[in-house]
Amino acid sequence: MSAAVIFAAAALAATGTYLITARTLSRIVLGFSLLGHAAVLALLASGGRAGDAPLANRSATDSMADPLPQALSLTAIVISFGLTLFLLALARREHELTGDDLVEDDLEDRRVAHVHPGADEGAAP
Amino acid sequence: MIWFLLLLYASIAVALAAFGHRLGRHAFTVAVVPAGATTAWSVLGLGGDEPVTADLVWVAGLDLSLTFSVGPLAALMSLIVAGIGVGVFVYSAGYFAADAPGLGRFAATLVAFSGAMVGLVWADSIWTLFIFWELTSITSFLLVGHKHADPDVRVAARRALLVTASGGLSLLAGFVLVADVTGTSRLSEMSAAAGTSAAVAAVLVMVAAATKSAQVPFHVWLPGAMAAPTPVSAYLHSATMVKAGVLLVALGSPVFVDQPLWKVMGLSLGLTSMIWGARGALRHVDAKLILAWGTISQLGLMIALLSVGTGKAMFAAVSILLAHAVFKAALFMVVGEIDVRTGTRDIRELSGLWRSMPLATAVAVVSGASMAGLPPLLGFPAKEAAIEAVLGLSGAEAWVGGGVVIIGSVLTVAYTLRLLLGLFTGTGSPTPVARGRVRMTVPSVTLGLLSVAGFFFLGTVSEVVRSAATQVNAKAEVYDLVRWPGPTEALGVSMVVVAIGVLAGLVSHRRTEPAPAPMGAAVVDHLTDGTLVVARLITGRVQHGSLPVYLTTMAATAALATAPFLLALDRDVLHAWDSPVQAVLAVLVVAAALTATTVGSRLGAALSLGAVGIGVSGLFLVQGAPDLALTQLLVETVVVVGFVIGLGQLARRFPPVGSVWRGIRIGVAGLVGAGVAIGLAATATGPERPPLPLREASVEEGGGNNIVNVILTDIRALDTLGEIVVLVVVAAGVMALARAGRHRADPPLGEELA
Repeated sequence: MSAAVIFAAAALAATGTYLITARTLSRIVLGFSLLGHAAVLALLASGGRAGDAPLANRSATDSMADPLPQALSLTAIVISFGLTLFLLALARREHELTGDDLVEDDLEDRRVAHVHPGADEGAAP
Repeated sequence: MIWFLLLLYASIAVALAAFGHRLGRHAFTVAVVPAGATTAWSVLGLGGDEPVTADLVWVAGLDLSLTFSVGPLAALMSLIVAGIGVGVFVYSAGYFAADAPGLGRFAATLVAFSGAMVGLVWADSIWTLFIFWELTSITSFLLVGHKHADPDVRVAARRALLVTASGGLSLLAGFVLVADVTGTSRLSEMSAAAGTSAAVAAVLVMVAAATKSAQVPFHVWLPGAMAAPTPVSAYLHSATMVKAGVLLVALGSPVFVDQPLWKVMGLSLGLTSMIWGARGALRHVDAKLILAWGTISQLGLMIALLSVGTGKAMFAAVSILLAHAVFKAALFMVVGEIDVRTGTRDIRELSGLWRSMPLATAVAVVSGASMAGLPPLLGFPAKEAAIEAVLGLSGAEAWVGGGVVIIGSVLTVAYTLRLLLGLFTGTGSPTPVARGRVRMTVPSVTLGLLSVAGFFFLGTVSEVVRSAATQVNAKAEVYDLVRWPGPTEALGVSMVVVAIGVLAGLVSHRRTEPAPAPMGAAVVDHLTDGTLVVARLITGRVQHGSLPVYLTTMAATAALATAPFLLALDRDVLHAWDSPVQAVLAVLVVAAALTATTVGSRLGAALSLGAVGIGVSGLFLVQGAPDLALTQLLVETVVVVGFVIGLGQLARRFPPVGSVWRGIRIGVAGLVGAGVAIGLAATATGPERPPLPLREASVEEGGGNNIVNVILTDIRALDTLGEIVVLVVVAAGVMALARAGRHRADPPLGEELA
């Protein structure tokens, strides 16, 4: 396997992870996009070394790249494209409603941690 | 038939849960049906030589299946479960007022319990047994908590659930070990287990049995469970569910026959419980609590006898199990009737009931005498067999076992007498009594008569008990229950026991000290509260509601999980690059990705993302994937346009980020990068190409030269269709989100015109 492709996939995964752990939704979208690239590169690299395009009438079988990971990758590209666009629309809507695109903490979950432990949760407050 | 009966239980339970509230007390009439059918079938099954089996394989490779095998022991147990169930359902119809709330729910849960218990006693696969074991714990919790408006009831129900459910975990762990050691999950195929794992399994299974059968120190949930309506106490907490632990010890005894720990634990748990339970029964003034503590004591006797391991003890244990189910259920029913008709079950307050409730008195006296082991009742030969069994032991076992069983029997006679005297006599003015209810009387009288009938048809009972006991211990085959043994050692011991017991009972009846606090419950409640505090603490830590922290945790975990791949690294399969262009493109992609990450402006980030996409397209091209490269270019263009349109209104620059958090994110991102690199490098296949069988198929069957396209449109056509559907859904979602804002911004048409 080509170290160059591994290097690119690893770097894309790292930058993608860094971005999706941000609080800004637009950065999270960027991160998802980068992670998508990383996944497709990894998938493609797993098919073996580079070769000629898998066109039956142009390339010899011996020099041809594996078509199966390519077909899988194509699906991955399209789905990650759909996801990116949807997240973008969400970020836009969030901005329309709240004025920014920050991902807020779930306040209900926060509350769980602060309930008084001795209290019987079934009792009337 | 097994399936039919279990499905009958399930469907009736579901039907009652759905429609039971419309039926009122008639719900119990419906509830009798499955129990009645099971009783009849069990009676027929008692005589059969070959066990009836039923098997439904779910995952054969994991040995997961629903497997039942109804042999003599299972038939006897299901006869007890279903037979007393019939009585309890009839009794419930009398016990509850016609307008009592939640009757449908109660009846449904009781039927569900009954079905679960039947499944438990019929189970042959230990996994099947475990599932039904847990089902009985859950239904018991629901039934104890029936009057859930009362906080005390909730505490009691929670205590019962936590103790029995932790026992269930212990059981699961024990069963996993058992299946591993014996190589089978079928109880009928298991042989004696040996080794350290078997010893650990023995301890775990015994602990599970002790929690279910309320053995000291796990007994504290049972007195609390008396907060349940009396039909539940009579059914679950004396006659059936608490016997599940006893059954487990019986079924486990052939498997753990070589484990000294099994025997030692069983004997010490059982004997301690026998004495401690009897002590509790002598101290309480609430009749239900007296019976509950008495149950702990009797279950202790059964577990001790089963752990002894001799054929005689096995035989005695099964006879006591049968006798106990009959007399204890009857006693609970009488106490419940007294409770309903007088409004109290405090033995200090009740007085003169023997005159006003003669039938109940008769049933209680007969059943109590059976409990004390007096002739001519079923309890007598059972207790004789037990005393004979312990007298037949040798060495220290004989002294300790014999001594404790004899003391326990004395105490049993004493608390029985104290209960009967307390319930039906008294010095005060006679307690006023409301009208009797036939549906409460009939079941208790029937059970009382059964205690008598059992003695007179002792031959049949003995046969049934013998075949059940022989199933787990072949040496039990030679024993018999005897109506009158003649002047034997055991009879002499019994007579002394009764004499001392009566004296002790009279003495304890005189004592009128206040009811002691429930012994040991405080410890369990502290443990329960502690568990809840810890649970809340963990929940608060783990479920903190912050998306970035969730994602960071997941990413770090996934990255660390690739660490084992480090061992599989092989440098030979790697090479620097396929072509120099590939190396240059890789560097460009990485540089663009880093820019997208670090740049402060949104527009810059979007453009960098475009650069990454173009670089990746180049890599695709070098790899030999022109289709991918084309698609990627197209997608990337749309995404960049989308970014510019979508985020156009947002502030140009990203908000600032805290430095500590940023450090953590960089660290985790680095880990993920390393993980991906390690994972890819370790799974690399090397320079040789895999064979390409798709080439011929593509040209000849797919009719296309572009193999990738043929795969997408022919071979994976359905997947591609699904993919298109995803895109349609996304497009609809994006449109909806975009228009949602527009509507509000648009002024109404009329205003615009004006």
